[in-house]
This record gives sequence, structure tokens and C-alpha cells, in this order.
Amino acid sequence: MATDAMTQEMVKPMVREKHQGRKSVLGALLVYALLTLGALVVIFPFLWMIFGSFKTIAESNAYPPTLLPEVWQPQNYLAAWQKPPNTLGRYMLNSLVIATVGTGVQLLICLLAAYAFSRLRFPGRDLLFMLVLATTMIPNEITLIPNFVTIRRFPLVGGNDFWGAGGSGLYDTYAAMILPGLAGAFNIFLLRQAFLALPNEFWEAAQLDGASSFGYLWRIVVPLTLPALLTVAIFGFIGRWNGLLWPLLVTRSESIRPVQMAMVYYQNEFLTDFGMVMAASLMVTLPIVVLFILLQRQFVAGITSTGLKG
Amino acid sequence: MSAATTITTAFRRWQNNGRRTSGWGGLLYVLPALIILVIFEIWPIFFNIYISLWRWDVGPLRFVGLANYERLFGEGFLTVDYNQQLAVGEVLRSLIVTGYYVLGRVPLTIVLAFVLAYLLFLWVKRGRVLLRTAYFLPYVTNSAAIALVFAWIFDARIGVFNAMLERIGLPPLTWLNDPIPFVERLLSGPESAGLSNWPDLAAGPSVAMVVIILYSIWTSLGYNIVIYLAGLTSIPNELIEAARIDGADNRIILRRIIWPLVTPTTFFLLIANTIFAFQAFDPIYILTRKTGVGGGGAGGPLESTLTVTVLIFRNFYERANAVGYAAAIALLLFLIILGLTIVQFRLFSRRVHYQ
Repeated sequence: MATDAMTQEMVKPMVREKHQGRKSVLGALLVYALLTLGALVVIFPFLWMIFGSFKTIAESNAYPPTLLPEVWQPQNYLAAWQKPPNTLGRYMLNSLVIATVGTGVQLLICLLAAYAFSRLRFPGRDLLFMLVLATTMIPNEITLIPNFVTIRRFPLVGGNDFWGAGGSGLYDTYAAMILPGLAGAFNIFLLRQAFLALPNEFWEAAQLDGASSFGYLWRIVVPLTLPALLTVAIFGFIGRWNGLLWPLLVTRSESIRPVQMAMVYYQNEFLTDFGMVMAASLMVTLPIVVLFILLQRQFVAGITSTGLKG
Repeated sequence: MSAATTITTAFRRWQNNGRRTSGWGGLLYVLPALIILVIFEIWPIFFNIYISLWRWDVGPLRFVGLANYERLFGEGFLTVDYNQQLAVGEVLRSLIVTGYYVLGRVPLTIVLAFVLAYLLFLWVKRGRVLLRTAYFLPYVTNSAAIALVFAWIFDARIGVFNAMLERIGLPPLTWLNDPIPFVERLLSGPESAGLSNWPDLAAGPSVAMVVIILYSIWTSLGYNIVIYLAGLTSIPNELIEAARIDGADNRIILRRIIWPLVTPTTFFLLIANTIFAFQAFDPIYILTRKTGVGGGGAGGPLESTLTVTVLIFRNFYERANAVGYAAAIALLLFLIILGLTIVQFRLFSRRVHYQ
């Protein structure tokens, strides 16, 4: 080992020299230019949205268009806010409720399951964990229709009898939008990994101090694995904020629908006021962008550790 | 680097780690998760099969046995059009359209992501995080709201993309309103109604589908770059340095060392992107909502963007009494995705073996 390190130390300056010799300044500049150009192309729709959101209806329908508005019209935001029934604020509030409650409960459920799968011993544990892992192979499409029927025929709610007949069950409720996504095998998997990474000594020390398994979870595990919990929370929140298909299926009342459904209202124009549409898009997207910029490290860690995440 | 390695180490650790508390208490912790997973993930597979055996509207109407499957593989694949000519059925059509979507989206995303990740990894020291942020942003904001920005950029009348094309001397297109295959459109010019003797479906994705593909590449690029960056970072530095000492230049290092060593990552991304593509719905819905049959419903124009997922949605949500039929199509899609997932898991375990 020591000699290894020594040779490495000796070789390093040589390598660096050669390395730099080969990498011309011109080449590096070219790469930077290319990457920056690519980044600008990727960012362009965002710029178009931001500047477009201040354009008047005449300007947003002008051809050829310009990036910057000639007349800045911040009133678009007010118009966009008031356009859908009950205002855009209502939809944002609904999304906030769905995303916060859904993510919170999901986190709790996954946390408990992941903890048990990593620390506790109970009959059938291995088999049950396999079962949980297997559900990651089930795509959304197959669950869509049956879950819709399950929601509609949920027993003893929404006028349904014990057999799920007679009423509309959970259809058109917040619960319908939140319930099916509350477990999430990937999250259980990810949290379990984080819990397993904790040194055994913590557990032993906690046991010596007479902590119960729940106390250990609450006072030691949760504070020490906050990054992993945060990762699960961000993905849960963003998935719910951006989701359209499932809420579209299980709701009818505009008063409880989430924010992506409101976007449909901005499309139904003969002459689309794109300035207003962009103002709405921006207001809907901004929370996610802010969240992402604040918690970028968690995102990247979450993606590279689970690999799979639509 | 990702789930593959973590799964094996997890299994090993968990075998050593398990002897803590015994008894049924632990079951209480996993019960909520299990209840949700059983009701909304596992039971639906069987329930879906059950529903597919019925004529079903809001509730079951009549047991029809395999009639929905007969319809799926019968008129769903081959049908007779208004001219009494044999034509491609809606299921086969949607499979072909989905195929074009996958072929248009996945390879291009992976190639672009590899090139960008390689440049970021090997060449960029300063500003890597900033550039990564830029490329990654569309992935987290992927939603109906952002899709509408694309609808404006590619608008037939006032879109900035057309303005750019005209600026460099190319003819503008009507993009999301154009059902003609893209290749055919390039050959026949912007004004033509298409070469009528050329079967549209055989000639590749429509112009409208090209916009959907561009949108999808835009949103999934960041995810692929991040995965590739992780793969590239896991290549031992000594390998590259040793090659340099032996006089290898960047091109040889790329071809002989970097590319072969990220092959597992590439395979993973190939399958993962394909699965994502099969499941895509929200952007297609919002971008094509007004071009479908009769101005409503997604999948238009002329059903040239009607992917399998959209077809399921249409039968389930927009047609009367077709829930059972939609469930049958969903089962077909499920089997396709399941096959891909199994391939993916196989690749994972193989990779673990030689590590």
C-alpha cells in the first residue's frame, strides 16, 4: 500500500504535465462553449416563459416574436390568477394540501416500514420485503383502472354500503388523490439503505440506555438520516405537484382539483393569451424550481442511489 | 453506484443484522405500508384481469369472457375502414406510434446525455454544478404547465421555432397540427398534403410526434446526465492515468476505457428510458388535447400521437362501456413493461457478479 501511494505521488506531477499538454486551451474553450450553448438551449423555454409572461396579448400573438416584451404587462399575473374557476390560488392550495399531506403520511409510512425491515426481526420479514421490492416492477398503467374502481367502490364512505355499492365511494375527494401513492416501495428501499448504514454501536448504546425500539427510531435514526428522508420527501412532493393523470381521473369538482388541472383552462381560447398562460405556468412551476435549487444535492443523491425514478 | 450494488450489499447486511427484536411487534411497523401496497399495487393486477373479462361501465354490466381480448387482437390489430379496405386497428396503430416515440426519444437522449456527461466529467472543473443544474431543471419541472410553454414555442402560427427556421431560410411547419410523417414532410415540402400513396403509419413518427419527442428528450436529458456522471465518476482514476502514461490520447481513452466501462450504465438507461417512454402520458395529453378527434381528447392529429397509454385513457375515460376493453389493453402494456423490467433486473444481477 505504502509503495503504491508513493509511486502514485511520484507519477502524479508527470501525469498532470502530460495531461495539460494534451488538453489545449482552445479545446477547453470549445468544450465550454459547446456546453454553455447546450445549457442555453435547455434553459431557453424557461426564458421564453419568463419574458413571455409579461407580454400583451397583441405582442404574444405577433409574428415573428421577440424574446423581450416591448411593453411590460405584469397584469398578466393577476389575469392568470383569476382565470380558472375559484382562482388559481384555490388549485395551488389544493396541490399544497395533496402534496404536503400525501408526502408527510407517505414519509411516516415508509419510515416505519423501512425501520422494521432494517432493524427489527419478525416472522415473515424476508418474504414481506421481497414482496415490497417486487411491487417496484408494477407499472402505473395496470393499477390505473382497478384503483379507480376501488376508489369508487370504497366501502362505507360516500354513500357506499359495506359491499361498496350505492354511492360514489372516495371518488371526488382529497383522499382519492392521496391514498394510492402512500407507500412507494422505492422509498422504503431507499430509507432502509440509509438506516442500515448507521453503525450498530448506536443501537447497542440506545439499548443499554433502555430505549424502546420506537424511541431509538425517533431520537437516533430520524435525526441521523435526515438527508435520506429529505430525498424521499422532495420526490414525493414534486411528483404530486406535477401529477395530472390520476387527479384527472378521480375528481370531478374544480374546488378540489390540483394545479396541473387548472392549466387546462388556459388552453380553451380561440386567440390564446399566451402572456397570461405563461404567467400561470410560471406561478405553477416556480415552487418546484425554488425547491430544486435549494435542495439540489438531495435530488442528485436520490437519483443516483435508486437509479429508477420516473 | 446504484440500486444493483445496494441491493446485494443490503441483502448481505440484513442477513447479519437481523437478530434484534423478535416477535410480532415489527409487523405493526410494516402494516400500513403493506395494506396500501396490497390494495393499490398487488390486488390491482388481479382485479385488472377480472375487469378485462367484463363489459364494464361505472360498474360491471355483463360478463363477456375473453371478448375484450378478441376485440384487442382482432379489430384492434386489423380492421376494415370506410372504403372496405383492410386497415391497421387502433391497438396495433398505438403500438407502432409508441414504438416511434420510444425509438425517437431513447437513443437520442442517451447519446446526448453521454456526450454531455463525458464533457462535463473530463473537461469541466469550474462551473460543473451550474451546468448540471441547467440541464437538470426540465426534469423536475416536467408537467402540464411546462408543456404549454412548448405548445407556444411550436405554435403553427406564431411559434418562435418557426420564426427561427425562417430566419435561417427553412420553411415553417405546423408542428402539433401536422399528422404527416416527419420524413415525408421533409421530402414533400410544407404545403403538400402528403404523398397519398405512401402509407403514413409505415413512414415514421408524424411531425406532431416529433414535437412530443423533443419535449421528452428535453425533460429526461438531465436525469440521464446525472446517472452517466455517477457511472463516469466510478471509473478508477488510475486506469485513465495509466493509459495516459502509455501515450493514449483522449479519443483512445474514450473508446477503449470510458465507453466500455459505462456500458452497464448505458444498458440500464436504455431500459429505464424505454419504460419511462411507455408510461408517458401527461405531456402528450396536454400537447395534443385539442388536436384529437372532434377537437377534444388527446392523441391527434389523425391519431398520430395516440400512444398505448393515451389509448387506454381514451377507452377508459372517454368511451362508454369500454372499461373492460381498456383493462385488456392495460394488461398487454403491463406484460410488455414487465418483460423490460425483468431484462433490467437480469442486467443488474449480471453486473453485480463481475464487480
